[in-house]
Amino acid sequence: MTDQQPGLDFSMVIASTVHDMKNSLASLIQAHGQWIRQLPEAQRGTPEQGVIDYEFAHLNGMLVQLLGLYKLGVNQLPLRPDYHELDDFIEAQLALHQEVLDSRGIAARFEVDDFGLLGFFDRELVGSVISNVVINAIRYARGEVLIKAGQIGEQLVITVNDDGPGFPEHMIEQQSDYVLGINQSSGSTGLGLYFAANIARQHQRQGVHGHIEIANGGELGGGLFSIYLP
Amino acid sequence: MLAWNQKSFLIVDDFSDFRSSVRSMLRELGVKEVDTADTGEQALKMCSQKRYDFILHDFNLGDGKKNGQQVLEDLMTDKLISHESVFVMVTAENSQAMVMSALEWEPDAYLTKPFNRASLAQRLEKIVQRKNLLKPILQALDCGKPAEVLAACVNLTKQDPRFAPLCLRYKADALRDLNQHEPLEAFLKSILADRPQPWAFAALGKLLFKRGRNAEAQTVYEEAIRTFNTMPVLFDGLADVLMASGDNRRAQKMLEEAVRLSPYAVRRQRLLGKLALENQDFDGASKAYRQAVSQGQFSRFKDPETNLGLAQALISRGGERGLDARTRVEINQTLSEVAKEHTNDAGLQVRARLMKATSVASSDPEMAAKLTEQAMARLEGMEQFLSADAALAVASQLKQLGQEAAGAGVLKSCAEIYGDDPTVMQSIAKQTDDPEILSAGKAAVDLNMQGIRSYRAGKLGEAQDMFRQALALQPKNISIALNMAQSLLHMGVQNLDTASLQECQNSLKMVGKMPDTDPRYDRYQKLRLRAFGE
Repeated sequence: MTDQQPGLDFSMVIASTVHDMKNSLASLIQAHGQWIRQLPEAQRGTPEQGVIDYEFAHLNGMLVQLLGLYKLGVNQLPLRPDYHELDDFIEAQLALHQEVLDSRGIAARFEVDDFGLLGFFDRELVGSVISNVVINAIRYARGEVLIKAGQIGEQLVITVNDDGPGFPEHMIEQQSDYVLGINQSSGSTGLGLYFAANIARQHQRQGVHGHIEIANGGELGGGLFSIYLP
Repeated sequence: MLAWNQKSFLIVDDFSDFRSSVRSMLRELGVKEVDTADTGEQALKMCSQKRYDFILHDFNLGDGKKNGQQVLEDLMTDKLISHESVFVMVTAENSQAMVMSALEWEPDAYLTKPFNRASLAQRLEKIVQRKNLLKPILQALDCGKPAEVLAACVNLTKQDPRFAPLCLRYKADALRDLNQHEPLEAFLKSILADRPQPWAFAALGKLLFKRGRNAEAQTVYEEAIRTFNTMPVLFDGLADVLMASGDNRRAQKMLEEAVRLSPYAVRRQRLLGKLALENQDFDGASKAYRQAVSQGQFSRFKDPETNLGLAQALISRGGERGLDARTRVEINQTLSEVAKEHTNDAGLQVRARLMKATSVASSDPEMAAKLTEQAMARLEGMEQFLSADAALAVASQLKQLGQEAAGAGVLKSCAEIYGDDPTVMQSIAKQTDDPEILSAGKAAVDLNMQGIRSYRAGKLGEAQDMFRQALALQPKNISIALNMAQSLLHMGVQNLDTASLQECQNSLKMVGKMPDTDPRYDRYQKLRLRAFGE
């Protein structure tokens, strides 16, 4: 053995393992869902069920994000922007998490400025960002989550707001560090911001790039995440 | 709400757990009619017997099986589903099917596993809503009437300008089908100036390339790749342009990139094999052709040229060193397949035998001699023309196998058939110095050129005269014969006297022997239709 002997390309190993984990989790979720439907009504919707549903969604979101980060790292994140109806896009996001929302007793609703509003973005990528933010919001929300979409100037803005305690102050103050990936010590939320910011930045129009912002307040008073897409 | 109980569904997935899970979701929605299939082949069969409103198709059904994209292509090409039907591609990972995008056929939606009932219902209802909105466009597409598609796009946009973005691609495709080059170019450029999309780049590149504006096409593709660096179709387009401008090495690099992004594409692998072979990268050629052969097994793009290419690449890779036993087995297998599946194609029988003979020339000279003899016997009685590429390969192998005279014969007839094409003549010149072969057609080709000039100048009689003289010198030349027929038909078939009609039909009978892969085959078909009125 020499010193030059190439070791494992660890990021590649992780990526392919995550890929398998994701498939495995998908089967698990599917089977679990089917099993739940066979249970008598009284045994559904228990608190344990809420935990299971939430952690399923959380795990899946993290794995998707991890694969996304890997592709971002090797410059292979496929960007395929197209026109999408905003109400459809957000409805789909909420449908994705219906079990979790139900079992946690959280009321989720959405508002779109203009019925039939079209946005121009990559549905899968922005979808995985919003999905992770929603999961995060569900975790901290007391009873409500609100997703809004509208236009500010030439930009499309999608916000996710909850009635929880909000983001920690330091995170809001240092959000530009998270966005640049400088501070990655805060685990999945920090990584999530980095991922979200990158996805936003991939979207550009005539030199203007997308970006994200986090704040506290909004209509529901808790955490408020915004993604701006040009 | 949708009337779910009146809709028919087909679920295609190789996992029975998944099929039953989706089936029960659909049942809960009130769907009554659910069929399932576990392979794409089965799905195609079912779709040919029954119209489904919805098809939920898993993208990846295992190695060596048709994938979801191939099934969608087959369904659309064979018109087994209407544009009004809904095709949803189910994928394990967000990006998995993305690389397939910007292709001619795209699914109505992608759904990532796992999904729940709420997601499924939401997606399907939304797609149906959108399809209802676009109904006039979709119906016009089903009838294959691009002018009506265009009108429907205009109507819809007038009805509500917000729908305009949904019509962009339909409109572009319709303009393309109507050959409205200038409006299409302006339209695509306006899309790209505002919000670039991969398909718009690909469409513009293709249009410019088709119109011979290669440098502009190249610039478009290069910009496209800077913007969207993971879309194989853009690398394909750039490779086409580079090939046309003779930069085969860079073209190969582009195709390699495309294959890396999306390895499951028979045609792309085959083209890569061909390019690599031309670039003398025999390792790369073997690899690409091998992929093309194995993926082609279940594809509508299966093609004996791929097998012959693989054999050629493997033989060339062996070079002076010769072939090891394993390679000989692979060659034998791939060639036997050609011989078995094309018993009536004399050209393929000759080529497969000669290829095989070449591969065993040093290990089993007796067998090589026998195969060569068989090949030459079939060549003797062959009516059909070989394509120029095939003829060149056959000639060179005959020479290598010690049949110099037969090889020269093939070159001679190749020069007679394709003598007006300077690249073919150059390739012939690489194999022979015989002036009788190299300059025999010169007079005829000159006459043909003069004929074309006269034809363009509107001097029809003069043109016919030139073509007639040229054809008398080189009766097998495809271009001259087609020109002869066209210059006669120019006056309208009803105005031809018996002798002229006879002359026209005779020249077409001779060209009828051309391989149907020839780029002029279409033109021949059209002329034949007019001359024979069938």
